[in-house]
Amino acid sequence: MIRFTIDGQQVEVPEGTTVLRAADQAGIYIPRLCDHPSLTPYGGCRLCIVEVEGIPTLQTSCTLQARDGMVVYTNTPKVREAREFVLTMLFSERNHFCMYCQESGGDCELQSAAYGEDMTHWPIQPNWHPYPVDASHPDFVLDHNRCVLCRRCVRACAELVGNFTLNVRDRGSKTMIIADLDVPLGESSCINCGTCVQICPTGAFIDRHSAYLGLDAEVEQTPSVCVGCSVGCGIEIATRDNHLVRVDGDWEAPVNDGLLCEVGRYQPVRDERKRIVTPLIRKDGSLQEATWDEALNLVAEKLKSLAGRGSDGIAALASTRLPAEALYFFQQLFAEGLGSEMATSTDGHAARSVIVNGQAGSLEALKTADCVIVLGEDLVKDHQVAGFFVKRALPQGTRLIVIDSGENALHELANYSLRPRPETIRDLVAGILAASKGSDPSQPDVATTSQRTGVDADTIQAVAQVIALAQNPVFVCGAGAAEAAEELAKLATSFEIPVIGLGGGANSFAAAKYGLDKAFTVNGQQAAYLALGDDNPAQDLAQQLANVPFVAVQASYVSPVTDIADVVLPVEIWAELEGHYVNLEGRVQEARRALTPPAGVRSNTEVLQALAQRLGIALDGNWLAELGLETVVA
Amino acid sequence: MPETLERVPMRDPLTDPEQKRIIDEILERNKNIPGATMVVLNELQSRIGYISPAMQAYVAQKLRIPLSELYGVLSFYSFFTMTPRGRHTVKFCMGTACYVAGAPQLIEKAQQILGIRLGETTPDWSITIEECRCVGACSQAPVVMIDDDIYGRVRPNKLPQLLRKYQRQ
Amino acid sequence: MKAIRAMVLVSGDPASIAQGAHEVYQRLQKEIKAFGLQDEISVSMITDVGRHDALPMVIVYPEAVIYGPVKPEDVHFLVEEHLYKGRIATRLVAPKKELSGRIAWLAARQGTLPAEQRIVLERVGLIDPDEIEEYIVHGGYEALGKALTQMTPNEVIEEITQAGLRGRGGAGFPTGLKWRFVAREKRTPKYVICNADESEPGTFKDRLILEGDPHNVIEAMVITGYAVGANEGYVYVRGEYKLAQARLRKAIAQAREMGFLGKDIFGSGFDFDITVHAGAGAYVCGEETALIESLEGKRGEPRIRPPYPTTHGLWGMPTVVNNVETLANVPAIIRHGAEWYRGFGTENSPGTKLYTILGNVNETGLIEVPMGITLREVITIYGQGMKNGAAFKMAQTGGSSGSIVPASLQDTPMDFDSYARAGVSLGSGALLICDENTCVVDLARVLMNFFRYESCGKCTPCRVGTERAHQILTRITEGRGTLADLERLEKLSQGMRQLSNCGLGQAAAVPLQSMLQHFRAEVEAHIKLHVCPAGSCPMSSRRVTTAA
Repeated sequence: MIRFTIDGQQVEVPEGTTVLRAADQAGIYIPRLCDHPSLTPYGGCRLCIVEVEGIPTLQTSCTLQARDGMVVYTNTPKVREAREFVLTMLFSERNHFCMYCQESGGDCELQSAAYGEDMTHWPIQPNWHPYPVDASHPDFVLDHNRCVLCRRCVRACAELVGNFTLNVRDRGSKTMIIADLDVPLGESSCINCGTCVQICPTGAFIDRHSAYLGLDAEVEQTPSVCVGCSVGCGIEIATRDNHLVRVDGDWEAPVNDGLLCEVGRYQPVRDERKRIVTPLIRKDGSLQEATWDEALNLVAEKLKSLAGRGSDGIAALASTRLPAEALYFFQQLFAEGLGSEMATSTDGHAARSVIVNGQAGSLEALKTADCVIVLGEDLVKDHQVAGFFVKRALPQGTRLIVIDSGENALHELANYSLRPRPETIRDLVAGILAASKGSDPSQPDVATTSQRTGVDADTIQAVAQVIALAQNPVFVCGAGAAEAAEELAKLATSFEIPVIGLGGGANSFAAAKYGLDKAFTVNGQQAAYLALGDDNPAQDLAQQLANVPFVAVQASYVSPVTDIADVVLPVEIWAELEGHYVNLEGRVQEARRALTPPAGVRSNTEVLQALAQRLGIALDGNWLAELGLETVVA
Repeated sequence: MPETLERVPMRDPLTDPEQKRIIDEILERNKNIPGATMVVLNELQSRIGYISPAMQAYVAQKLRIPLSELYGVLSFYSFFTMTPRGRHTVKFCMGTACYVAGAPQLIEKAQQILGIRLGETTPDWSITIEECRCVGACSQAPVVMIDDDIYGRVRPNKLPQLLRKYQRQ
Repeated sequence: MKAIRAMVLVSGDPASIAQGAHEVYQRLQKEIKAFGLQDEISVSMITDVGRHDALPMVIVYPEAVIYGPVKPEDVHFLVEEHLYKGRIATRLVAPKKELSGRIAWLAARQGTLPAEQRIVLERVGLIDPDEIEEYIVHGGYEALGKALTQMTPNEVIEEITQAGLRGRGGAGFPTGLKWRFVAREKRTPKYVICNADESEPGTFKDRLILEGDPHNVIEAMVITGYAVGANEGYVYVRGEYKLAQARLRKAIAQAREMGFLGKDIFGSGFDFDITVHAGAGAYVCGEETALIESLEGKRGEPRIRPPYPTTHGLWGMPTVVNNVETLANVPAIIRHGAEWYRGFGTENSPGTKLYTILGNVNETGLIEVPMGITLREVITIYGQGMKNGAAFKMAQTGGSSGSIVPASLQDTPMDFDSYARAGVSLGSGALLICDENTCVVDLARVLMNFFRYESCGKCTPCRVGTERAHQILTRITEGRGTLADLERLEKLSQGMRQLSNCGLGQAAAVPLQSMLQHFRAEVEAHIKLHVCPAGSCPMSSRRVTTAA
């Protein structure tokens, strides 16, 4: 530990901590623009300068490592004068007339820094030169006039997201933020994750959906968890007057370090589906408003009549976007209470690959991996944040091996890109492992593997070599590799190589643990109960249900499935519900209520409880214990 | 694959088999050298004469670096150009000595004569004008560098004659 | 090697070439062949000879007769008279005139004018840079042999430390100490980088060394590698220096062939090789960490320091970065010893320094003189006095990164410490001598224009400061300045100096500082009286002319 003094206060920090971080920990705020806790120190803006005893020149605290006995001052006249100089430079560089900016009033770190120095004006002529505004992107606008060239966005795009869309062009005062070969953002390789918008200290990146809708001080922030996929990113839901303003990544979240993908950040605000706010019952061929009692009684009655009947009984499907509490009730109600043989979740198939031998690899392993093997999952399209962790490690020399018979955008980035024949991933993994981890006579040799999988022998040998030489190899395994789950389980245990199993939906891990892991099929059942929540039903679901005599749907939005339903029970959406989600690592996280649901809408658990009550089925609330997790990571 | 490679414009060096061969040769020789970006760009600039957007995309793909990184490097260094040059490049030295000795007036004159601005090329592709850094011939200020030839003590009234000589070549 | 009895050099500086040096060179070759002398006489093009009054020049050794200006049609006569018949072709001899610079030194070999002290330029112009044999004949690679076979790496560092060699790139950091920092690092591989990205306006000393004596730099780099434990070297050459790059590449190939580069040099078991890397037009790459970024193929933006290149340089490994001129001193020090080296220059700044003399003096050119001579000496002896008898007003040292030195400091010894004490800096060795017709505000504006164009844009003070300073200086030269502008410039200068990330931004502040400190009255005249005392500012005009 390093002990030193900031402004007379004794501070103790681990070795390698910068003075700026140490000051943050001690509650002493040093203004900064280019620095950000998630990014490597840059030392560009020069705003965070401090005075250090024994060093004649001012030092940038973001790059200065704390040393024992150091005496640091953050607020001497010399420091304040220098800070004012830097601010003067920045204000005079481009258009920083605050009154016209949507960040003005607390959200702008440039403006706040100026307030901090009691600056009322800057004593130098501004530049007066207009810069372009790039409004080509569907989700945000880049206004170069507000840019202070701190390059947080550029560094975030590279260091955090690994997408490398943003950079700067030219040099000196001509420096400009660019995308790709200086193309409009909307035509670039941008993947709409919005990290640049979230990390921008000024009003240069403007969020189209929330601009002028609410400054930080005017909105309510609710920490919660994203239910877009099984990664389970920590989010901050910004709301105002019971309206969703924006979704931000939670910088403190253990899973995603503040990152979000397009699905988590922009899909919720772009959502234009029609909400259902009262129970509906089909009468005379059309859905008509009903009371909760009418609707629940009707459903209970129907279910009761079919209880205990096997293949011509009830087909029940729950979305993995539902909280664990609801999924557990759902399992008790349909599988146990009503004896349905087809009670499962929307991730029936994917969920099985999640749990490799009962262990779940931690995403943390990706941050230190020097070799990542991705099987059967396009991390550019799904589980994108996990994909960011992989992509951003590549420039540091992390080797990427992609094994996927199908389309996979990662193939292009991979050091080794293997496309085995369909259904032979299991053989390939077994072959690679045999070649990599010494001779196991029971395993096929490289030539046999090559013949069987269609991957050439040299490549198999090379990949095996890379894995053998890696210090920290990590396997990432998606739905396309479910068949190889057993081999991977072997891997995880015998070689202590972490295997990260990707699920499908947010609660696919819990669903699998509750046994809701069959593929959903309808075959002669007399009734179907669909707990969709706010999920979009699969395209062919309505078609599958066409011949089922009675269909009850528990859903938030109008969809092809509600259109054919006999009863619709309206429930809360993601931002309204309270409950728990278990991500692919087996980490149990809490979703909190950010919006008050419309009157007439009930929670998923309430609906299932009400049905159970009418059916005389007792439900227990041991959802957590039933997960069977040895340790619960909060 | 980057979009620009899907529709390479006509007359791009990548569509000319001979130039494509040179480009491929340069890339092949350097692709496994760490940090080869600048070496490649330098060679392309001197052998092809400029680095077109399609070439940029092609180089980024072959060197396996992001487009934005390539563009960042390309635009940082004043040697690299993204548009075709004329047959002759006329550079005006902007070193301290030449500046004081009247380089700005020379540029003004050249722009008038040729009807183009700095960095542009005449419509007949004969001459491109640009400014350059001190060429180390300060005693001859102001200096005009045409291709690899250096002309010292150039007076504005002598400039038309000089430019015309090259324009005709 | 052939027995060469005479050597003919043709001046190949830009001005000479413009006046037909190439034709003269070709004619010489043809005529020498015609007389059947090709086996006994060598002809070479050399670079700037430091004299510009009778170009192109032809210099014939061993007599060191200077002919000029020589026209192609004179060549036949010259060859016949001097080389065939052995008589000096009097009618072509360059006009007699007090000689300076290189020429002075060349003449000095005939005992007419002892002037410069040559260590770095010892062989430049004397030998054919394309022939390694000539370098060897002149004592080349002797120092390398001595270092590798008779000295330990530590002894090499000790010798350089004892010699008191200091970096010639501008900062004057002790070279021995830098080497020691790298030598003591355990991590390998280590690298040696020769900084040949010479970009200061008006400075071309490194180019002349590389073009005239490339093997000297190669030898120095191998010695450096041996001393610090590095096996790989890079020469980062300014992109415009095509000839220097070609000569270096050729020299490296020759050195490899002779075993001075490659595996097991001198049978010592020490391996070393060198790669030439061309820059691409960014002044900031002269800054060592920007240079390293550029070598790694990135934008040339200076890194944050610490860590310094000595511990985290190229690819994060320990790296020595030395300027060409610094390195060029090394072989001589090893050959003759520290004691000998300390016999030149001053106590704290031993050795010699190269200067390029420019501006309003009668003679411009490159000189190598002992550390510690004064500006007055430079102007009167080497510059042959001010042009048209005008008064000396100020000198701009070191291209852009130095100071504006007022006439009042013209008797201060030019060495690192004396200049530092006077609050000015030596810079990289360009001396722009200005007379009273040069306006200091205009000069500062031109310099600031250079800096704003070359700023990398990473840090705020430099990126914006240079822009704002240029804006204000332009305003003052147009007669639109206010007294408050002086205060603003003061603040800008102070802010850029204190807060910039690298030397570029810090250096950009220096001319402002010098201007405000030494020439305040002149600046105030622009503001209060709307008059430019030097008569060069377009006071009445409101037109803004900018260069970039």
